[in-house]
Amino acid sequence: MAPSDEELVEQFQQGDSSAFDALVRRWDRKVQGAIYRLVGPSEDVRDLSQETLLKAYRGLRTFKKEARFSSWLYQIALNVCRDRMRRGRGRSYVSFDELTDGGESPGEAGRSALELIESRDLSRQVAAAVAALPMEQREVIVLKEYQGLTFVEIAEALDVPLSTVKTRLYRGLGQLRQQLIRQGIRGSAPVPAPTS
Amino acid sequence: MDCDAFRDEMMDLLYGEAPPAVAQRLEAHEAACPGCREELASYRRLRRGLAAWRVPAELEARARPRAVARPYLAAAAALLLLVGGGLVLRGSEVRYEAGRFAFRLGRGSGPAEVQTELAAQEARHRQEMQGLRLSLASSRRGDDQLLRTVQEMIAQSEARQAGLFTAGLERLEERTEARRQYDLAQVGVGLSYLDGKAGLQAARTTELMGHVLQASQKR
Repeated sequence: MAPSDEELVEQFQQGDSSAFDALVRRWDRKVQGAIYRLVGPSEDVRDLSQETLLKAYRGLRTFKKEARFSSWLYQIALNVCRDRMRRGRGRSYVSFDELTDGGESPGEAGRSALELIESRDLSRQVAAAVAALPMEQREVIVLKEYQGLTFVEIAEALDVPLSTVKTRLYRGLGQLRQQLIRQGIRGSAPVPAPTS
Repeated sequence: MDCDAFRDEMMDLLYGEAPPAVAQRLEAHEAACPGCREELASYRRLRRGLAAWRVPAELEARARPRAVARPYLAAAAALLLLVGGGLVLRGSEVRYEAGRFAFRLGRGSGPAEVQTELAAQEARHRQEMQGLRLSLASSRRGDDQLLRTVQEMIAQSEARQAGLFTAGLERLEERTEARRQYDLAQVGVGLSYLDGKAGLQAARTTELMGHVLQASQKR
């Protein structure tokens, strides 16, 4: 059975450097995915991912384990993204024109060209709609919808109350739905606006 | 449960994080309230649509190998800087004199332990230098062998080229001679034809002159 994140952290803090390798192998793709969805398709994604892992490496010796490792790692990634976005203020960080197609999904083989185009078009529209959200809503949606964190983990990563996480998610999903309806995406029927 | 309470807890139900008792109450309200049922259904459809956005595979493929190495590279670089900085701050120096390296740590003479350690380190470095010299000499021998091989290959290549050139020249000469013979034969045929034409013309002229003579004698 594979050791848990917390066990690997313990091993690393006791001097086993290879434990960090295992953590990186486990988390690097997820971190990259989160950064890609937060800052958009650019060469910065790789740099930001490296910066996140480097900061994690430096900070892991003194990591207090008050939060989960995953929450702590995402917290670092979010801070790295926010710093970069602050430095890049004044320009659109996520260029809608640059939004690439979503890559080849495992089920694409054997699909018709029309289906592939529709799928990639939908991917671009979703990306653009998420990019248009305010950053605090985008963070919650990315962490919940694409990274699969629990509400508690997101609250730890963002250092906000649980209720705030749910409110931001609710509002973010509401805005996304409206945006996608405007873009003519099927299956997003209108519902009453969020109340809080 | 009213609609406001349902909306407050709806995200837990949508993402499957509601405790069983709460989930049961929410589902009861969902079954009884068409508006809330439709709202929850629309969020479920939205989530299916959001799943269409994927991270490009090439991004992951490119970035993956660097992720593990970099923290260690940075750590190694930091260690080097630390050691190097420490040496500089202590006034250490490394010199190359009379064909060997000399190391000196610190500005003054240190305790006996440091001296011993320095001596051991210097011995190690001498040993390493000796190894390097041997390796360099061996590398030179290897270079000479390589040079000879390359020269042989060049010579063989030149011989091959010369052979090919000679053969080509011979073929050209044969073709030129055959062409010359053919052209000569053609010239001969032409001359014979001209000779034939000239002889016929001379015979006609002679015949004509005979007629002219006969006519003049009749007068």
